[in-house]
Amino acid sequence: MKAEDFAGRDIITMRDFSREELEFIFDSTKEIESGRPGGALDGKLVALIFYEPSTRTYSSFEIAAERLGCRTTGFSSPEKSSVAKGETLHDTIRMYEGYGVDCIVMRHNLMGAARFAADLTKVPVVSGGDGSREHPTQAMVDLYTIRKAFGKIDGLRIGILGDLKYGRTASSLSYGLSNYDVEITFVAPESLTTRKEIDHFLSERGVGFTKTKDVRDVVGSLDVLYVTRIQKERIPDPTEYERVRGVYQINLSLLKEGKKGLRVMHPLPRVDELSSDVDESEYAQYFVQAAAGVPLRMALLSMVVAK
Amino acid sequence: MRKIEDGTVIDHIPAWKADLVLRVLRLQRLAKSELDVSVAVLQNVVSGRLGRKDVIKVDRWRIDENEADILCLIFPTATINYIKSWKVFKYSPMVPDTIEGRIRCPELLCISNAEREPLTTMFYTLKTERMLQCRYCDTLLDFGKIPDFVRV
Repeated sequence: MKAEDFAGRDIITMRDFSREELEFIFDSTKEIESGRPGGALDGKLVALIFYEPSTRTYSSFEIAAERLGCRTTGFSSPEKSSVAKGETLHDTIRMYEGYGVDCIVMRHNLMGAARFAADLTKVPVVSGGDGSREHPTQAMVDLYTIRKAFGKIDGLRIGILGDLKYGRTASSLSYGLSNYDVEITFVAPESLTTRKEIDHFLSERGVGFTKTKDVRDVVGSLDVLYVTRIQKERIPDPTEYERVRGVYQINLSLLKEGKKGLRVMHPLPRVDELSSDVDESEYAQYFVQAAAGVPLRMALLSMVVAK
Repeated sequence: MRKIEDGTVIDHIPAWKADLVLRVLRLQRLAKSELDVSVAVLQNVVSGRLGRKDVIKVDRWRIDENEADILCLIFPTATINYIKSWKVFKYSPMVPDTIEGRIRCPELLCISNAEREPLTTMFYTLKTERMLQCRYCDTLLDFGKIPDFVRV
């Protein structure tokens, strides 16, 4: 496998990626982290079009693009663009293609928006999250972080906790983990457990998974506890949000029930589900995880943007 | 209605659903554009198999096979016969691999439900599981619930 194999490729869903491809991306990320020089995409233009707020994804793509020598254009919120005047996604994508961008990185509030955008243009489209469905590059960051912490992904027991129904990082991570020999435990209140299509996909791939509501049931057996935020902005019924808010509070006292080597991850931002008393502990992996966003996205952009 | 020499008979439609079938097949539009097409609709007639059923007979029009497959997916009890020179041929429907248009995604926040985006819905059929899966947002829809999401 070589980087050119990814040229022009859309990154829409983790289900499109094989283990071999993921490992290639991770090896390339490691090289960049080890000091491989940037500037591989001098003169290229990357459009960042974000219809939803973002801190890490937007900034890390912007930094990644700039470190590779690209210029960036676009908008970080729809209020700053003609979207506020009612412009369709269709027209926006066609316009950026017409401007000669070499890659479109987009985030959208509607599910499947990245797939639709990819249908509209020959320029590679990289999803930075679409509604509550997927966030593939975050899942790649997550898997890379696990590989970096443990030296492997196979054989690990991974708990994914929080809002598994509306949280797009949980979906994409689950799909990505299906390439490895892992045991997954989903920890969520019944109303926020994984959607039918995730369960169906994992079952079809022969991935073992269990579900529980109580993190204490499983914390002692996990290698990784992946904590996610309850997605207040996506839960349609405010009373439902009130029922589940604060249902999990991961703190040092709970983690001390875990086995040696347990690592806590979180795609961030966090609200109250992960206590700051974990930050300086040996469990905390989430700032390492966030930092991996830049080299991993550098690796991806350098592969998908045609030289 | 006189006996059909050439045409299509859609039988065993669930009672009172003929109107939905007509809209799925866009037969009103067809009847307006092709004057020779005559449509007879029987509603809530006694059926040995269903208790009550609707029947649609269309003279001088042959249903497209893909349309027939989609119709039988939406209404699994429906049976379709072609009439050619007074002879009756029973159509054996197949479950199509994909369905474009006709059905809307049950997920309201799917891009395919965005009003002004020029986009045709598309579903993959998971034949063993008897479900459809939206190409855009992956939402699954049981075959049995398809009639609730027919886009007409």
